[in-house]
Amino acid sequence: MDNVTVKTDVLIIGGGPSGLSFAIRLADLLKEKGLERRILLIDKGNSIGSHIISGALVRPGIFSELLPDTPAEEIPFDSKVSSNKMYMLSERGKLRIPITPPYMGNKGHYTASLGELCRFLANKAEEKGVEIYTGFAMSDILYDEKGKVIGAKTIDTGVDQQGNQMENFQEGTPVEAKLTIFAEGSRGSLTKKLIQKFNLDEGRNQQIYSLGCKELWSVPEGTIAPGEVYNTMGFPASDFGAFGGGFIYGLKDNKIALGLVIGLDYADPTFDTHNAFQVWKKHPFVAQFLKGGTIVEYGAKTLPEGGYYAVPKLFTDNALIVGDSAGLLAMPALKGIHLAVQSGMLAAQTALVALEQNDFSEKTLQTYEQLVKKSTIHSELYRNRNFRQGFVKGMIPGMFHFGTQLITGGAGFCGRLKNHSDSEATKTLADAKKPLFIEKYKDLEFDKELTFDKVTDVYYSGVAHDDHQVPHLQVNDPETFNTVNIKEYGAPCQYYCSAEVYEVHTDREGKQELRIHFENCLHCKTCDIKEPAGGITWNVPYGGNGPDYKYM
Amino acid sequence: MALTIISLIKQVPLPSEMRMGEDGLMDRTKAKSIINVDCQFGLEAGLQLKKKYPDARMIACSMGPFSFETALKTALSMGYDEAYLLSDRKLGGSDTYATGLALATLLKHLGFTKESKEPFIIFTGRQTSDGDTAHVPSQVAENMGLPQATFVERVEADGKGNIIARRIIEGGHQELQLPMPCVVSLTPTGIPPRKPSLSGAIKARNTNITVLGVDDINLTSPKIGLAGSPTIVANVQNITSDRPPVMMAEGQGDKELVDSFITQFETGGNTLQKKEEKERRVRETPDFPVIDTREENRGILTWAEVVNGKISPSSLELLTPSLNLAEQLGGETKITTVLIGKNVKPLAKTLFEHGSDEVVVVEDDRLEEYLVLPFSDILAQVIRERKPEIALFAATTAGRELAPRIGVKTGSGVTADCTGLEIGEYVNRREKEIIRPILHSRRPTYGESKLATILGFIYPQISTARPGTFPVPKQQDGRTGTLSVFKPKLKEEDFIVKIRKTVRGEGGLQSLLDADVIISGGRGATSDNLQLVKELAAALKEKGIKAEWAGSRVVVDEGVAEYARQIGQTGRTVRPKVYVAVGISGAIQHIYGIKEAGTIVAIDHNPKASIFKHADFGILGEYEDVVPELIDRVKGGFTFGVEPAKS
Repeated sequence: MDNVTVKTDVLIIGGGPSGLSFAIRLADLLKEKGLERRILLIDKGNSIGSHIISGALVRPGIFSELLPDTPAEEIPFDSKVSSNKMYMLSERGKLRIPITPPYMGNKGHYTASLGELCRFLANKAEEKGVEIYTGFAMSDILYDEKGKVIGAKTIDTGVDQQGNQMENFQEGTPVEAKLTIFAEGSRGSLTKKLIQKFNLDEGRNQQIYSLGCKELWSVPEGTIAPGEVYNTMGFPASDFGAFGGGFIYGLKDNKIALGLVIGLDYADPTFDTHNAFQVWKKHPFVAQFLKGGTIVEYGAKTLPEGGYYAVPKLFTDNALIVGDSAGLLAMPALKGIHLAVQSGMLAAQTALVALEQNDFSEKTLQTYEQLVKKSTIHSELYRNRNFRQGFVKGMIPGMFHFGTQLITGGAGFCGRLKNHSDSEATKTLADAKKPLFIEKYKDLEFDKELTFDKVTDVYYSGVAHDDHQVPHLQVNDPETFNTVNIKEYGAPCQYYCSAEVYEVHTDREGKQELRIHFENCLHCKTCDIKEPAGGITWNVPYGGNGPDYKYM
Repeated sequence: MALTIISLIKQVPLPSEMRMGEDGLMDRTKAKSIINVDCQFGLEAGLQLKKKYPDARMIACSMGPFSFETALKTALSMGYDEAYLLSDRKLGGSDTYATGLALATLLKHLGFTKESKEPFIIFTGRQTSDGDTAHVPSQVAENMGLPQATFVERVEADGKGNIIARRIIEGGHQELQLPMPCVVSLTPTGIPPRKPSLSGAIKARNTNITVLGVDDINLTSPKIGLAGSPTIVANVQNITSDRPPVMMAEGQGDKELVDSFITQFETGGNTLQKKEEKERRVRETPDFPVIDTREENRGILTWAEVVNGKISPSSLELLTPSLNLAEQLGGETKITTVLIGKNVKPLAKTLFEHGSDEVVVVEDDRLEEYLVLPFSDILAQVIRERKPEIALFAATTAGRELAPRIGVKTGSGVTADCTGLEIGEYVNRREKEIIRPILHSRRPTYGESKLATILGFIYPQISTARPGTFPVPKQQDGRTGTLSVFKPKLKEEDFIVKIRKTVRGEGGLQSLLDADVIISGGRGATSDNLQLVKELAAALKEKGIKAEWAGSRVVVDEGVAEYARQIGQTGRTVRPKVYVAVGISGAIQHIYGIKEAGTIVAIDHNPKASIFKHADFGILGEYEDVVPELIDRVKGGFTFGVEPAKS
């Protein structure tokens, strides 16, 4: 009886920049046309922004396009970028790179908390009549008898860890929509199902990702000016042939956002992005900014880095994919926010036509992909279409490839560069280059002032999960997991995980088993991406579970 | 004739043990607001009852600022249909007495009275995490003249207009049968609250919350708000630890760690370096006239709870503060103890020998087992006749519902779960007068390492004392006093609640209070449902040691251990020779419950766990690895320095 099917014209899954921009734009367009349609936006975070994390450096222009009637100063950016320096770090030293590499300039950009921006956008959307519900997790796509998408359903609640219904069991609410927008962010769990069901990635490169770990610090007055931006390359990622770098952004009120972003196509099964981040913080160049400061927040997320050739088909009957879920992220700048907003706006244009004609078939919705191709999204992705693949063999060949791509307008000398998935890139303990990350940093200690172990960092994410639910992280085949993933690969999950979800426990008889502390999970989805042979599936937990980011 | 299911809820700051800051204080910056956890269980109990009455009208009510609308919206999205918020500046600062009165008035205004033709039932939480008194359910019930069942974890309807409630009592539970209308308060060991559903949230968005003020509901009593409340918080001070720093076991691997621990344990831990206490600036007492407001009220009254034909030890403990207070009050101050039951007269001797000057015996065959309605009625009648200035109850599951119910009858506020009782004065700077003597009731306040002093201005001043906090007074063989018999006026209505059965298990309160060694498990020891904790206690018992196992509030709330085994806040204070905390993070209320223990040993994998700041010995490691090793050592003869009990 409580399980009434909800009907809406448009269902948006995810309240990040792409979903919210779609909602705002569509509401505006409908109003211009004098049309009234129901727009429902559902987010699994406890509130808008609680699952939102980014660097972030944003281009303000796109927000003015989205909100033409809003004065620019009302948009809650943090600070205007005042200086922008790039350093190449070695284990002990640093080298200033005097020129900014192409496409990595941040002039006219702002530092920001994306969560704060999303809260602002959500208020705007609600003012325009969009219904936003937070704390509800969509666990399944609904299909009609012809197999077409007709909405999604929230997760059933009130089950125990084995999946048995408890007395407080409640079936999830089905939401039937004429049009469903997949705006779940990086590696969306429903988007993944959608792409698989309709082969939307046919003929594309495999999507590859990076993992970013970030901390927000409060530092003594005078440590950094708002808008001071530093990027680092090299140490410590380069020691392990990993692609990645660090960022340090000065924010107002003596806050610093800093993080390390590592491409997940590394080979070392023991590489640990969180711990590499801690090692990076100990580098004198980074440590100087944190002296006398205290940590405020911690978080982690993945970023789709595959670029142009990894973008899936963006539509199917009754559904569109936007933002990070669509892999719309510009390399090498690692910027996706403006593309998320732009894709949301373009999708809204298409949705308006579909709503007007009451036709949500591919025939109408394909316009969205055409609009994207005509937009600057396309030009930004296309000119660096081979950028990331070029770095598969490391930084030096990568730079060479990038150089040739610059000359040839992005093609390089080989045309389209193919790639492997991140999970395939992981090597076994025996095959990986030595010393392994855990060997090199076997004596790594966390002083709880400058550096933190994962559990301590996780505390600063505000994460919480209900105990009574099926663990949302699922080992697909426990037997091969033990014989291959644990024995041969040395259980990479215990290292790559940004939140100490995975623990290999050895009992007194020496028997090993995987323990999953899903209550720590920050929803970064690295396990779904990186586990060898795709051994782990990330599903949504109950709505409202997960991190509770405040200013990330 | 449709049933109405009413749920009373409160919004509180999130009281998570996980959010304890570095200094062991609650990190308020991270505290979100939630529906008080116990109240969520009350909401769920209402929704469960709806399964039996699908046409039931579902109402959620709250009292507090406008921000409490969030909690009511959540109740709506869980499945409630209507929501009412009593919100008025005049209600700010209300104590529990004033809150109970206001909520009862709201419900009457909504048409729910004892005389209502349509049946209804009121669900509440057992207590709130920010007040922790468990008074309001009793006070609402008394104000409305309804029967009640508190500390309930299971509710069923018998289809004949009765509610069958499973009530937790010390060491077990009771099955009560109550007619509707009635008030039922839920413990967080009941059916866990459901998550709001999306369809419910959509409905909630379109449902208005009715906000009412005191004038809207004709609440004319002056006994509301800060000014009208019978009690005030007079003082709040920090609780500090007086234990030396912890000595941590050293070594690689479980065996070495345990070896190191045993060596350390046997040679003794660190010693306390007394820090010179800074002299506190004492605010000068002004030269106001001293007034005595007691009028004809004199003496101390206590209630002797009878369990299994004996005086409950916590009722004997009560005589310790009573004797102290009598001495401080001086003169002719007498301790009168009320003894209610069937053939209980012979028990009066024990009371005399522990300090009672007079024992008032009330005997009736129907009073063999404790029931809140007749017992509160009888005690209120005795109080009206004897006019004591102070009335004390043990903060047992009975005392904690009885005292507030009596308080409503006598117009008194009640201070819950006290750990200190002294006579002092109240300097009223506004009226320029000093009230002396007055009872200073001290109780720890939740989430913060604070001790609040509460004063009551209506006689009798009523307080409940936490079991285990005060020692039982020394028995004086042959001491006697006045034995009087009281004939109460009892109504048939006092017996409308029936006890269907009472189950008291092994363990629980008494053996915890008697134990020399307590092995206690927290959230961090639940992956085997406290199996290793129980095994370690069992291994000690086999060696003839008086050992018991217990749990922290979290494991009790999660149903891993029964309420009777809870240590800490609103549980009990224990004073074993050795206390072993396994996987207990060390929330402040837990620390308070064990501070009387001789030696504290902490085992936890988190070096930051605040339990280590309050322990004598620490072992840093996974309990799954350390405890089996310890069990082996116990089997080999290590008994934490405790001698086997002579039986």
